[in-house]
Amino acid sequence: MAREAGRRSPAAAARSRAGFAFVSPAMLVMLLLVAYPLAYGMYISLFRTNLLNRWDFVGLTFFVQSLSDPGFLRSLFITALYAILVVSGHLLVGVTLAVVLASAIRLQVLFRAILILPWLFPEVVVALIFRWIFDPIFGLLNHVLETIGLISTQVAWLDDPTWAFVAVVGAAVWKGYPLVMLLALAGLQSIPRDRYEAAALDGAGRFAQFRYVSLPGLAPILGVAVILEFVWWFKHFTIVWLMTKGGPVDATNVVSIDIYRTAFQSFDFGRASAMAVIVLFICIAFAIAYRWLVPDEQA
Amino acid sequence: MTLPKTLPMLLSLGAVALVPALAPSPALAAGELVTLTVLSSTIVEGPEGKAEQGFADAFMAENPDVTIEFIGVPANELYAKTNTLAISGEMPDVFINSPEFMAQAHDLGIVADMEAVLGADYLAGFADGPLAQATVEGEYQFAPWFTIPNTLLYRRDVFEEAGIEPPTDWDEFRDVAKQLTVDIDGDGQTDRWGFAMVGSNNGSGAGRFFLVLRAHGAEELSADGDGWVTGFDAPGAVAAFQLYGDLVADGSVPPGPLQTSYGEAVSLIASDKAAMMITGPHTIGAVLDQNPDMAGKLAGALLPTLEGVTPQINLGMFGWAVSADSEHKELAARYIAFILNKDNQVAWNLATGRLPTRLDALADPRIARPELEGFIEAAEYGYQVPTARFYPDLFGVAGDNYQAVIIGQLSAEEAATDAAARTERLIDNNR
Repeated sequence: MAREAGRRSPAAAARSRAGFAFVSPAMLVMLLLVAYPLAYGMYISLFRTNLLNRWDFVGLTFFVQSLSDPGFLRSLFITALYAILVVSGHLLVGVTLAVVLASAIRLQVLFRAILILPWLFPEVVVALIFRWIFDPIFGLLNHVLETIGLISTQVAWLDDPTWAFVAVVGAAVWKGYPLVMLLALAGLQSIPRDRYEAAALDGAGRFAQFRYVSLPGLAPILGVAVILEFVWWFKHFTIVWLMTKGGPVDATNVVSIDIYRTAFQSFDFGRASAMAVIVLFICIAFAIAYRWLVPDEQA
Repeated sequence: MTLPKTLPMLLSLGAVALVPALAPSPALAAGELVTLTVLSSTIVEGPEGKAEQGFADAFMAENPDVTIEFIGVPANELYAKTNTLAISGEMPDVFINSPEFMAQAHDLGIVADMEAVLGADYLAGFADGPLAQATVEGEYQFAPWFTIPNTLLYRRDVFEEAGIEPPTDWDEFRDVAKQLTVDIDGDGQTDRWGFAMVGSNNGSGAGRFFLVLRAHGAEELSADGDGWVTGFDAPGAVAAFQLYGDLVADGSVPPGPLQTSYGEAVSLIASDKAAMMITGPHTIGAVLDQNPDMAGKLAGALLPTLEGVTPQINLGMFGWAVSADSEHKELAARYIAFILNKDNQVAWNLATGRLPTRLDALADPRIARPELEGFIEAAEYGYQVPTARFYPDLFGVAGDNYQAVIIGQLSAEEAATDAAARTERLIDNNR
């Protein structure tokens, strides 16, 4: 009896086979494009290798060395700080502009189109524009500051560790705020008007309405945005590489640059893979936090 | 500047030049179409790219069944690109190799023995200095194409106007750099700086720092029996780090030296913003490409040294290697021989300032032009770049530390100690 109860009917088995048939193309693609590279990367991290003719098994040596290497730990710290500042900037600028756009201003469509422009620029273009802006001799920033009398000599912004970090964060904030702005704008427009009317009847001013109506309404959207954005900018490479190459010295040496240098300048692919796997686990931790914070129906 | 006008004629001469290796390849069946892939960094530079494309076009005109397909990559990305192509099994038939990278390429097993490809007789036609630097473990890794002896490039007109000679030691260099840092238009702002320092943290910056290091009597890496030792912590190295810090602190260097790579430094010279630079004769061509008014205003001189120190000059050599897996080695050899024939070597020199490596071209009177004299003299002091596989890692070691000195993060002594410690770790890890 038990065996018969556990046996599926032919129709159910056929449905199951059809289900597998339908998902198998996507599954194959995922296995080939996601799972295989990840697994291969982990495999490489166990070897001292040039990926061609030398494969010396070293086990977890590179993981141990990386996690005890002050340079790598510092690059992780710089990356975390960079990601936190960039995401915070996106939230601040994006939500502020979304609130402005959600209010009944004139030429709203035009402003919305203009404000979304940074999102449309390729990262390479953004990095080169900002590099030019900060150029000490030919740059726009020094020219403007000299014209209004704020500086008397040409300042090499990207040669200063603090200013270089501020510059790459600024460029990344400018590039990425439109995504948060659009998400927040959509969120604001989905909040029923009667909540604002009720708050106004209760004597709430504009700030109080934002604090007690808008923000709670935006919280789920902003929660998702923060997690996704943090993971995205934690892995970021392009803007920082093109603006500062991780310098001066190691002031903007985010972990992706550290990994790139290890792999393609030192040609130490095993160590670079170990570093990348560590970053992968950090990103997985954020993904778990994301699933934990955001229920399925909101994800 | 009349040189660019002569370029098409010289390229045409090169096109019809005959070398023994140009006989039709018996390996190619009649009518068979062949594509020869060539990885080159010079093809993306100006005026080099135009000249190199001219050679390729001429070769294709001579060999209608052959297509030359370039893979262009900036010089600072060349080694990473070569490595990536090797790993992905997509090595081009012909690629640029150099003394800095050849040990790594040899270790990867991607280079064909050039003696087997070109023949011993052909190799005998190269100047001894460049050819000696193209070997690893007795195997020829590439056919030297040009040298760019890196020494002191200076504005001849500015020096003459100031009534000074090129500096011969580092104290003089510091004084001259300061003296030539001037406010030309009297608006209170500096308009021209003495020295265009390449302070970027890459091969361009580190390669130049190594010259300064060696001109102070220290060597970043040298052979010691079967192994390697570093001189980063020698007194001369401390002095070299200190010099970099002092030049920036003196204000003798244009703002933003850490962001100044080769291209930016060339622009500074071309735009009359700097009077000196450590570089090779190719920079004359690059500057004239940006600003033809600089014709006749640039010259080379031997790099300053500490008293009693013999100059050591990096020849900055690039050459052509053939991929070990290439199915067209014979055709590749013909293409290399074509590019290296006398007329093309001279045409290349006239267009770019890069010095030839073939004995017949070197003997041509058109090479020894006044603006190249200093560079030709410097070439006599060429040193053998260490053939350690990890040598490219030293670029970052040096770059991190001279940048740290420049921004005041480390003293010269601390930078030298750190550079030495990191290099010793590299030596240990690669025993």
